[in-house]
Amino acid sequence: MSVSSVEKPSEARENKFNEKIHIVSKKVKRVYGYLAEFESASHIYKGAEKVRDAGYKKWDCYSSFPIHGLDTAMGLRRSILPYFVFFGGVTGLITAITLAYTTQVIIYPTIVQAKPANINTIAAFFPIMFELTILLSGFTVLFGLLGLMQLPRFNHPLFNSRQFNRVTDDGFFIAIEARDPNFSTATTMELLEAAGGKNIELVEDEED
Amino acid sequence: MASHVTSADIPANGEHLQGKHVSFIQLVSLVVFLAGAAVSAYWLFFDDGVWHESYTYSWLFGFIFFLTLTLGGCFWTLLHTLTNSGWGVAVRRLMENLGLVFPAMFLMALPLLCPDVQEHLFEWMNKHREAAGGSLFGNPDKYQLGNTDPVGGWLLAAKQFYMNIPFFYIRILAFFGLLGGAIFYLRRLSIAQDTDDNADCRRLIWSRKCSTVMMPIFAVSATFLAFDFIMALDFKWFSTMWGVCFFAGCAINSMAVLILTLTWLRSKGYLLVVTSEEHYHIMGKLMHAFVIFWAYVCFSQFMLIWYAAIPEETSYFILRNTGPWNLPSIALVICHFAIPFVALLPHYVKKKTALIVPVCLYLLTVHILDIYLMIIPERGPSLTAMSKYGHDLSGDAAKHGVTQGVNGDIDLFVSHSAWIGDVIAFVTVGAFFIFVFTFLLKRSSLFPNRDPRILESANLHG
Repeated sequence: MSVSSVEKPSEARENKFNEKIHIVSKKVKRVYGYLAEFESASHIYKGAEKVRDAGYKKWDCYSSFPIHGLDTAMGLRRSILPYFVFFGGVTGLITAITLAYTTQVIIYPTIVQAKPANINTIAAFFPIMFELTILLSGFTVLFGLLGLMQLPRFNHPLFNSRQFNRVTDDGFFIAIEARDPNFSTATTMELLEAAGGKNIELVEDEED
Repeated sequence: MASHVTSADIPANGEHLQGKHVSFIQLVSLVVFLAGAAVSAYWLFFDDGVWHESYTYSWLFGFIFFLTLTLGGCFWTLLHTLTNSGWGVAVRRLMENLGLVFPAMFLMALPLLCPDVQEHLFEWMNKHREAAGGSLFGNPDKYQLGNTDPVGGWLLAAKQFYMNIPFFYIRILAFFGLLGGAIFYLRRLSIAQDTDDNADCRRLIWSRKCSTVMMPIFAVSATFLAFDFIMALDFKWFSTMWGVCFFAGCAINSMAVLILTLTWLRSKGYLLVVTSEEHYHIMGKLMHAFVIFWAYVCFSQFMLIWYAAIPEETSYFILRNTGPWNLPSIALVICHFAIPFVALLPHYVKKKTALIVPVCLYLLTVHILDIYLMIIPERGPSLTAMSKYGHDLSGDAAKHGVTQGVNGDIDLFVSHSAWIGDVIAFVTVGAFFIFVFTFLLKRSSLFPNRDPRILESANLHG
């Protein structure tokens, strides 16, 4: 655990303990990336445009409320989720047709009020087709969204930063990840400064 | 992100449609209308044969098709005002202009109010007039009605509180008067703001309050116009879903007309500042929503009737889902729902003009099929029962109310090429619609230039 600027009391205790028994941690702490604070929604909007224009891909903006137009300022592409949902819905539709038609027409032709048991019965299956299409579309939305956002997860490296706590209150942050090919400890920091970022901090990941 | 529109970009007096862009269209539509009206007037009022009979249905078809577009215009105006929407302020004037064609459509409804035309369309009126001893506007009592027909007499008696000729005329006048007056008043409020130097929110708030009252008027008018003009073609049949099915068609296709009008105006250089692809996106989304709504309510109507299989309810679908009308009915399910549903799914189809315009034209085309299937299948059987001319109704058949054609069967189709009349009526009413619509577009600024929310609408962001 490490926060570059402020040490938590628990860490201090841990360090002291390590010194005492002369064990130095050999584990390398992985750098997660730079975190910079911005003063307001308009500052983060302008900052996001600069980061976007510098060609970064692995980065994100953090705010306690949605900021109108920030997706364009960040240069986000449209989500791939709608295509998943379309095929989820098609799967539901085909499942419903197969399920209803096989059971009600082929295996056990069910005659209700002298209605035909053939392709013309399909009108009776429309509600099932509708429901299963909706159900599987809905499931694809939920699970596709969770999958694309890599949720749920137990922790996030940014939670190591103490100033990041303010993100749910009045803080606006941009974090550029170290795994971005353009990332470098020097130039990325300069960029964030130029973009108007304050309290720039190198956030390190947990061990392992 | 597109450049930000500020009040400096909005013309102080709005944009006015110039004569050179519209005069040719107006001239052509006026000439076509006058020519069509001459033919129509001959067939409707002076001809005395099978063409006269069949053309009454053609006229009803043409009238109803364009009535749905104007009713949809009323709906979108009212919905927009009622929900205090900001997004569509830039296109609101188009909705108002389309809505105001509705009271003008009363002129096209006039033939349908003439007993000479009604005689071939509405069998229930014939029975009423017969029971009232030939009086054109008489209102016979239930006992007299019950005696007119051993099959349908008791139905006529049961429905007499609603289906009687004096109330029919009162209703039609009330629908056109009240809803037409409502849309006229809303548009006048909106236009008065265009030239007000101290344009504030007063008119907008008052419009919103008014539209809370006008929306129910719209709902009742649209529903019962559909009942009186289409469902009443077969007085034995009834469906409580009918008004909603009719309304769904109104909402989809008036939005298609609005998108086409917007595209046409933008191609002439109007509305370029205040509208963007985001407006197309929202209008496309609303159209998509109503494509689904249409399928939902139409299927609900079909499903309940098909499942219950009660004789007086199934007649509508027996006529349309058997024999030669079956194929168009099935085509309607695929062409009016499945194809546009999938076509409108991607966001870029709704945003790109080159893609949404063909979809709108396509939707209007299948709407023609939809309205055609509502009205025209009724023509053969009804005329078989009601015709004085081409059909043999002598002897026992007429006495027992059983309808028989030349060969002792009910004719599904009239024997001559009546579809030519359908085309002529459609073109005639369509030319009238285009003439009035372009006339109204020219009368005022193309967008409410002093509405306080015009900048919100111009800077719309999806």
